[in-house]
Amino acid sequence: MLKIQDQVSSVRKIDLEELSNTILFIAVFIGIWQLAYLSGIWPKVSLPSPLLVLESFIELIQDNTLLVSIGVTLYRLLIGFAASIAIGIGIGLAMVKFTGFGKTMSSFAIGLQSFPSVAWVPFAILLIGLNDAGILFVVIMSSVFSVMMSAYSGIRNIPPIYLKAARNMGAKGFSLFRHLMIPAATPALIIGIKQAWSFAWHALVGAEILMAASIGIGHIMLIGREFQLMDQIIASMITIFALGMIFDKIIFAKLEDKVREKWGLRQEQDIENK
Amino acid sequence: MSNLESLIQTKNKSVLELKNITKEYQDNKSRVKTKHTVINNLNLNIKDGEFVTIVGPSGCGKSTLLNLVAGLDQTFGGSIQVDDKPLALSPSTDRVVVFQEGALFPWLTVYGNIEFGLAIGKVPKKQRNEKVKKLIEMIQLTNFTNAYIHQLSGGMKQRVAIARALALDPKILLMDEPFAALDVQTKRMLYSHLLRIHDETKKTILFVTHNIHEAVALGDRVIIMSPKLANIKKEISVNIPRPRSIDHPFVETITKEIISESDGLSIKNGLIGIDPKNKDQENDNSTTTF
Repeated sequence: MLKIQDQVSSVRKIDLEELSNTILFIAVFIGIWQLAYLSGIWPKVSLPSPLLVLESFIELIQDNTLLVSIGVTLYRLLIGFAASIAIGIGIGLAMVKFTGFGKTMSSFAIGLQSFPSVAWVPFAILLIGLNDAGILFVVIMSSVFSVMMSAYSGIRNIPPIYLKAARNMGAKGFSLFRHLMIPAATPALIIGIKQAWSFAWHALVGAEILMAASIGIGHIMLIGREFQLMDQIIASMITIFALGMIFDKIIFAKLEDKVREKWGLRQEQDIENK
Repeated sequence: MSNLESLIQTKNKSVLELKNITKEYQDNKSRVKTKHTVINNLNLNIKDGEFVTIVGPSGCGKSTLLNLVAGLDQTFGGSIQVDDKPLALSPSTDRVVVFQEGALFPWLTVYGNIEFGLAIGKVPKKQRNEKVKKLIEMIQLTNFTNAYIHQLSGGMKQRVAIARALALDPKILLMDEPFAALDVQTKRMLYSHLLRIHDETKKTILFVTHNIHEAVALGDRVIIMSPKLANIKKEISVNIPRPRSIDHPFVETITKEIISESDGLSIKNGLIGIDPKNKDQENDNSTTTF
């Protein structure tokens, strides 16, 4: 019992230290910002004070713009991301099944993986139009190749002995896929999905700004630029930053942790960290 | 020896029949196609409930033979019959393999691994649960039911592997050097476990190993294979009554006898893992491997 309590208190200590470090960092950052504002190098329109940004934040929350925008943006993200995962895993499987297609497609997909997401925008506008479907197209095209490649290589790198053992126990066709391939490829898939998420997020905000979405976080920034509302732009940037942090640190970190624990990879990493 | 002959376990029905098995590998890499014969015209009969061990140096075709029986390799000459049916008509779950190591699934718990074959076979949940629990009791890992594979020791892992194979209730349990990667003490423990499990389940077991002592300690019959012949060199009946103790004096006698006879097989004497309990010179040969 004593040992466990010791561990708990040491964990809390680290947490507290981390928290105070973060607060200190933010305080210094705001301080420099405030100093830059006071120096008068930039006009007030170009660089508002932290306080002005805070006011704009409160305003955006009060007239409900921010919450609705976040909702719409996340909704688009969810749909685009889910479609990417489904399409990516589907094509990834086809690539495993048909080796010739897999080889060609994988070199093609690697090229497209690093293709800048905003470069899809003009194509999407002319092909689909300045609408939600166009934005979704950009999001999917930017993220689907990461999922595809991770599914493809994840399944191909499954140790042959797992497949041998599963087949020997009667698994074939769909049951082999569901009970063996998907769980065995999960660690690789999660890395690909995490990468796809960040690609999708980049693409979405870019597309919302460039494709003049009628609503969404990108839309707030677009309005901010049109009407020279720098405080509103900075407030949106902070929102985007915070959303990214939340997804990365909370959802994906937990997911990865869980997989690591199951597969027995976490302990090794913990030791390395210490 | 002769006074023990009467103790040979005789059972009438043969579960596995190998007739004129031939297996060749073609070397396609070199320009000149060369054929390499691993198994040449081999015949073997295994009776119901028999524990047969195949022993031989690496490259003698013993693992190949096991793969053929398991159906993992389907190109060969001759015929294999399981329960009087040709191999193609017998489901692979009749011949389940316990692999050397690393074949357990890390994303599943001990329970999940043992359940795997039953889940594939769509056995109802309730039945599954009963069976898995029974097997976990049999391998004496009740406290580890919900542990993940990486939390187990090497010996525990192989016990889980045995239980996972038994869950499917195969006609023949095939074991491909399952204990080769374990240390001597763990091996001894697993021999006792396996002998106990064999007594409890009366399964037919075909066990491949390169360790003569292991083959003698476990098997009713030891099949010695030679790479030169690509066939069975000798067959020895081990007439030690069951339930059997691995410390039975005949184990050493027969092991020595095999070693002294098989000078053609280039034996390295007693270098690999001397059993700490039998350290005296007499038993130095006990763990001799090919």
